[in-house]
Amino acid sequence: MVDREKLYQAILTGDAKSARALTEEALKESVDPKELLDKTLIPAMDEVGRLFETNEYFVPELLISARAMKSALELIKPLLAEKGAEPAGRVAIGTVKGDLHDIGKNLVAAMLEGGGFEVVDLGVDVSPEAFVTAAKDKGASIIALSALLTTTMPAMKKVVAALEEAGIRERVKVMIGGAPITQRYADEIGADGYSDNASGAVALARSLAAKVPAAA
Amino acid sequence: MNPRERFHATLHYLPRDRCPIMDFGFWSETLVVWREQGYPEGADPDEFFGMDPQWIGCGGEVGLRPTFEERVIEDRGESEVVRQTDGVIVERGKFLGSIPRHLDHSLKDRDTWERHYQPRLMPDDPNRFPPSAEWRLKVEELTRPDREYPVFLNVGSLYGLPRNWFGLERISELVYDDRKLLEEIVETLADVIVSVIETTCAAGIRPEAANFWEDMCYRSGPLLSPKVFRELLVPQYKRITSVLHRHGVDIVFVDCDGKVDDLTPLWLEAGVNMMFPIEVGTWNADVVEFRRRFGKDLRLMGGVDKRILAGPKEGIAREIERLAPVVEEGGFIPTPDHRVPPDVPLSNYIFYLEEAKRIWGKGLSNIRPTSIPVRSGATLAAGALP
Repeated sequence: MVDREKLYQAILTGDAKSARALTEEALKESVDPKELLDKTLIPAMDEVGRLFETNEYFVPELLISARAMKSALELIKPLLAEKGAEPAGRVAIGTVKGDLHDIGKNLVAAMLEGGGFEVVDLGVDVSPEAFVTAAKDKGASIIALSALLTTTMPAMKKVVAALEEAGIRERVKVMIGGAPITQRYADEIGADGYSDNASGAVALARSLAAKVPAAA
Repeated sequence: MNPRERFHATLHYLPRDRCPIMDFGFWSETLVVWREQGYPEGADPDEFFGMDPQWIGCGGEVGLRPTFEERVIEDRGESEVVRQTDGVIVERGKFLGSIPRHLDHSLKDRDTWERHYQPRLMPDDPNRFPPSAEWRLKVEELTRPDREYPVFLNVGSLYGLPRNWFGLERISELVYDDRKLLEEIVETLADVIVSVIETTCAAGIRPEAANFWEDMCYRSGPLLSPKVFRELLVPQYKRITSVLHRHGVDIVFVDCDGKVDDLTPLWLEAGVNMMFPIEVGTWNADVVEFRRRFGKDLRLMGGVDKRILAGPKEGIAREIERLAPVVEEGGFIPTPDHRVPPDVPLSNYIFYLEEAKRIWGKGLSNIRPTSIPVRSGATLAAGALP
């Protein structure tokens, strides 16, 4: 029997090689991939997030843990797809139009994947229409917007407006983040939530996913 | 008092006539937008706004020598892909946006370090200084006993530069994947910095301050844990600051954006004694709180909420009043907490400066007047107005 605690620790300490080997071993032993994800891997990433929020982990620790998680997910994802297992939610993430910065966006995307979300990364300089298309065609129920500059953050409001215009605002939640962003700004533009860090973004996405209306 | 004496007195808590009136700088787009509001094309901002002299450097180059040749790899219409002089491949907007996006890096591992970067970081490379005739003239100017302006010695970076060269993700991984390589890079940079300090000071130049640039924090805290910072960087900072102190350079500051308070005690321990720019906008930093927490050992520069400059004038006046007690106490040079963005109207910026000169500068007659723009493109000095 594979040692689950070792796998948990491999994610926590960012040991990608062990995380992959132990995941492989568990799958060979016919452990249910969804159960492995929900009971071992996601809790390990949640602990990484907690340590990040309490200033025990910093960006390097977060990144190597996300890398270890990714190495395990590479093995698990195809099996989950085969079984038709639903992710925690589908998030379309991108840096808004006019803004080319992606470090914060990439960190949030990695943590969301580690948190069990399916992430559609739209990249940088993303138009409001592209977010609308991702919601319609990729089934994203959460739109995550990033901006680094005070001059580009108004583009977030345009995305909210585009979702309204497309008639899908009610079924899509919008979360925002980035250096100049505040909760006040999120309220001002009608976004559903704001997080000031990658770990908090996972908790926010979970709470928003729970509020997404069931598909008709 | 001349600006040099005023700068020294301010940062040593000595009696002085007034606080220096200085600035951080402007987005390039800001000056373009301001031209439509009356700012004359090609004008020098310091001259136009009548500020005390600032950011005058005095040493050699502490980065790559020679640099990579800059070349455009791809034209993408509104943006272009460029290999910069530091070897980083970036996409940068042609028209807007102040920070380019990193696409790829020439530095990836030990092999690329040894082939492309280490040879460009030879401490005794004579090309770190201008050609001898030019350097002689510069030394002559900077060592004049009657020099009236302060000069800064750029002592580079131990983390910021390699972070740019590698990219944040790769350098973060290397903390765990190859710490020895990182240590070697930091030590090499320190070797270069020490060599530049020694050569500069041997020429007789005595800078008023030395400045590191790191930008290693973001809105929630540092990009490295304090533990790794202490192990990796503090020993080399100490090495550099001890050389500076030996040459009588006793003001050493770090230019670091973001939430710096977790690292500030470690910088103090490493011989740094001033932080800049204490960003209010990013994480609600407050120079009043910084002074309470770190005392007079830590000097401060920056700390003015630049976002307020785009708002009502009452808010600008309040911000100036808020900082006045720390200005009065000394050890603090107020400037906007980052470069002034284009959403700040020129008239607001002039109002800010006039208020700053009145309150922080005590309205003394040795403050140069702010020029008042007029639509024809000509300007008038405020003091010349009836």
